[in-house]
Amino acid sequence: MTELVWLVIALPLAGAGFLHFAGKYLREPLAGWLASAAIGGSFVVAAVAAVPFIQGGEHGTAVSLWDWMPAIGASMEILWDPLSALMALVVTGVGSLIHIFAIGYMHGDERFHRFFTYLNLFAASMLTLVLAGNYAMLFLGWELVGLCSYLLIGFWFTRPTAAAAAKKAFIVNRIGDLGLMVGLMLVFTTFGTLSYTGIFERAGDELTSGLATAIGLLFLVGAAGKSAQVPLYVWLPDAMEGPTPVSALIHAATMVTAGVYLVARSASIFELSTVAQVTVATVGAATAIWAASIALAQRDIKRVLAYSTVSQLGYMFLAVGATAYVAGIFHLMTHAFFKALLFLGAGSVIHAMNDEQDMYKMGGLLKKMPVTAVTMGIATLAIAGIPPLAGFWSKDEILGSAFERGGWFSVLWIVGLVTALLTAFYMTRQWVLVFLGQPRWDEGIEPHESPRVMTAPLVILAVLSVFGGLINTPLRLTLEHFLEPAFELVKLQHPPEGVGMFILLAGLSVLAGLAGAAAAYLAYNRSSDEWRGFEGGFEPLWGAWEKAYGVDDIYGRVIVAPGKRAAEAAAFQFDIPIIDGAVNGLGRVFRDLGEWARPIQTGYVRNYGALFLAGTIVVVIWLVAGGA
Amino acid sequence: MITPEISWLAILPELGLALGAAAVLLVEVQWKPRAQVLGMVVAGALTIALAFTVVQWIRAQDAVAGAGQLGDLVAFSRMILMDGFAVFGRFALLVTTAIGITAGWRLIEGLGRRRAEALALILLASAGFSIMVSANNLVMVFLGLEVGSIALYVLAGMTRSSSTSDEAALKYFLLGSFASAIFIYGVALIYAGTGQFEILAIRSFFSAFIVTSPGVILIGIALMIVGLGFKVSAAPFHAWAPDVYQGAPAGFVGYMAAVAKIAGFAAIARILITGLGDLEVNWLPVVAGISALSMVGGSLLALVQADIRRMLAYSSVATAGFVMTGVVGGATSGVLFYVAVYALQLVGSFAVVAAVSGPANSASSMDEYQGLATRSPGLAAGFTILLLGMAGLPLTSGFVAKFGVFSDAWSAGYQWLVIVAVLASVLAFAVYLRVVVNMYMSDAEGPTLEVPDTARWVLMIAAAATIIWGILPGSLLDLASSAFPL
Repeated sequence: MTELVWLVIALPLAGAGFLHFAGKYLREPLAGWLASAAIGGSFVVAAVAAVPFIQGGEHGTAVSLWDWMPAIGASMEILWDPLSALMALVVTGVGSLIHIFAIGYMHGDERFHRFFTYLNLFAASMLTLVLAGNYAMLFLGWELVGLCSYLLIGFWFTRPTAAAAAKKAFIVNRIGDLGLMVGLMLVFTTFGTLSYTGIFERAGDELTSGLATAIGLLFLVGAAGKSAQVPLYVWLPDAMEGPTPVSALIHAATMVTAGVYLVARSASIFELSTVAQVTVATVGAATAIWAASIALAQRDIKRVLAYSTVSQLGYMFLAVGATAYVAGIFHLMTHAFFKALLFLGAGSVIHAMNDEQDMYKMGGLLKKMPVTAVTMGIATLAIAGIPPLAGFWSKDEILGSAFERGGWFSVLWIVGLVTALLTAFYMTRQWVLVFLGQPRWDEGIEPHESPRVMTAPLVILAVLSVFGGLINTPLRLTLEHFLEPAFELVKLQHPPEGVGMFILLAGLSVLAGLAGAAAAYLAYNRSSDEWRGFEGGFEPLWGAWEKAYGVDDIYGRVIVAPGKRAAEAAAFQFDIPIIDGAVNGLGRVFRDLGEWARPIQTGYVRNYGALFLAGTIVVVIWLVAGGA
Repeated sequence: MITPEISWLAILPELGLALGAAAVLLVEVQWKPRAQVLGMVVAGALTIALAFTVVQWIRAQDAVAGAGQLGDLVAFSRMILMDGFAVFGRFALLVTTAIGITAGWRLIEGLGRRRAEALALILLASAGFSIMVSANNLVMVFLGLEVGSIALYVLAGMTRSSSTSDEAALKYFLLGSFASAIFIYGVALIYAGTGQFEILAIRSFFSAFIVTSPGVILIGIALMIVGLGFKVSAAPFHAWAPDVYQGAPAGFVGYMAAVAKIAGFAAIARILITGLGDLEVNWLPVVAGISALSMVGGSLLALVQADIRRMLAYSSVATAGFVMTGVVGGATSGVLFYVAVYALQLVGSFAVVAAVSGPANSASSMDEYQGLATRSPGLAAGFTILLLGMAGLPLTSGFVAKFGVFSDAWSAGYQWLVIVAVLASVLAFAVYLRVVVNMYMSDAEGPTLEVPDTARWVLMIAAAATIIWGILPGSLLDLASSAFPL
């Protein structure tokens, strides 16, 4: 079966190709079901191919498809090892559920089939990224997911905000990609190849710690762009302009975890540089608490989840930075379950509320949409770290590992603990605001439970959010044993041993979670005047949180120069926003340059002749003078 | 009495094309047949030419492998070469011609009784450029250049009804003559300095002698670079390109641009790298400068165009710069690979332009491409592949081509040029992405598009080649790397 693992990528790719050409002839739900079947089939193949790893003891195999550019060690090859298998299962498994959900969610959209074309294309790209057997192919997938994300954020391109958000995501990701690209060049000049197997086995002998630090930090820049870490996180909240299934699939469960995957995959390089490890972990912890504090005060149901995603990705970076790779990947997996569930639940709510996203205008939806309410409640408890739900086990393993590593990491552990408290608070706040209390709906809105095609994925994800954590508990380290062959070249960080320590640490984080949840419940399960007063009591902090510390403003003022902002304003009024979507801010500078050069093209032959002659004279003088 | 030994094989491909051109005209005069009949005659001529090219290729490979005389590859009183480089260039030209005619078929059909003239001109142009890629003598290069160029001038003005087409033809002709004059003057100065017209003899001259005051020769080199730079539309000798690309009938532009690029770059590579390789310290900086200016200037100007044909014109200026990094790197095979790959993409792109805005039309606003993905998914998908190929995205032939010339320039010590090239590539990516976004992310205007079958075929071939050679570049790379000049 391992030889057929290329099917995992090929199925959704074929789905995208077929839908592109035949999509408009298919009637509405059919295109969606076809796309779901393509990715579902991909899940089945991945599951069957992963059986040897589940049975244990099996090492990774490289499946070579064909030679692409052998000179740089860039073959089309798949590395099928436990790590890539797990990633593929998460992408295809959660992906399938989101595909099915989208059939209901996108009902009635004019470009229904186009949406599923992009979704399938995204899945194929993401699978290329995680299954790649060398950095060249990883980079290919890395760029392709970025492109798909851009297409999908801007899917409703007639909304100017959607086009602007797509543009922002594109530019910020370019910054990260530049870091990754330079890092890969360093890798290539050092090893003469980009192939994983060639690099990781030789890394210990051939890489100096200085070089490992440089590569690690450059990779971190790339990872921070893709995975929305401080200071490059600003694009993710805006990316919520895309359809909600896109937010669930790309901006919560899969694409944004690519940075975590990159660090975990490059474990052998990070192994050689403590500096890089500490930087990764610190960036992660800082992101976690920074984004969590912003999430406290958001009113938009999706923006809460967006900042929450940024914050949870910070936990994963903290884990992989502490070399607790298994814990990081474990949290990646459980987070995919409950965060996808939260986003889909939010989508269900938005759907029912006629596209209302302001939580202050919701309330009392528990009776109207019980399935959504209960499943989202489960996810809320899971992310808050209440045992025995999935989030508890993975978050606790991360915090335990940071604690055990000690030193600077003890500080990061405390940061993580405080973040856990904040997380429980803002998630409970969201659930209470949406589902409890008195209805605060706008007139004319009649909420209703979503159709079965949307609620069924919610229920499945809820089950996974409850039991998904049980695959790696201190009592039974199934996932750890599963992933071990992928990390045998590096030393893994573990939580402290012993029942007493476990109970102490877990008790602390459960306490933090319960305290946050209880505080939010008490604060918000009251009349709206009362909780508005509660929020006012935190001024001016609350205002800062609500405005996300004004980082976008600062970036706008410091990085985007005043002149360009004027151009930006003019462009939004006069230029078709979507064309500007492609030609980003930097591009506009070049455009101006181009416009400046344009008058040369007068159309008169005499002017062309003069230009020609001038060029000739310059060339002649240059050559003759250079030779003298 | 000495009878010179004449190797007819050396010129049989060109002979086939020229006789084919004559046959098309005669058949038209005698029978006034349907367009398909003329098409058959042309196809016959091209097939014959291709067949002889294959024979030449086999002989060239045998000679290199030691099975024949290397000297046999210099034929026809040392005028014509049959080395791998020349034959590969010929082959690329012939394939481009065949595809170019197919792409412009709807236009040719629409020309009425003048369609035979158009076909004859195309065959003659290809014959001329074919001589240009295989000439060993600078005068032969010039002859081929003129035969080809004059045919192209007429083709640019073929749809006489349109004044923009006339304007394009006249501009092309005036500036082209200017460039040809400069080129031949350069040839004369080289002769004055070395006493040689033959490229191989010029090479021996410079490896045997050191010229203490090379002023005349350097001016000659400069003028030849300028003349050929014009033909490949390198900046700052590119001013004609946007006007001609926009004004000439869409059905022909792809072909015109592609063959001129192939022949021009083959001549540049042959003259500079083979003939004047010993003087490279002198010309390398200038060529690198032209290359950088073309890449950056072309990409910048392409970014601001509102007409897709002008955009393609400027992007071809940029591409000329990219290919020139290969000349700087001394990579004859890399240069050939790049132009061969690009020629197909160019012909395919203009097949799309012709399908969207009508084959005889001038001007094709970018707006016509809004929502093309809905109006004709096949056309949009094919065009997207070609655009991404030109942008040099990995897994397309454009990436392999760019990677090849860049790495050659890098190892030749021109790191700064490669850095400029990579940055210009990023810029060029924005240029192409803009069209893709326009096709996919805007609402459709206008009804479903009727695409002629010929255009469909051309697009399919060009897109397939872009992808196949991007994924499996081995076969073409091997071929190109065994296509080195003598």
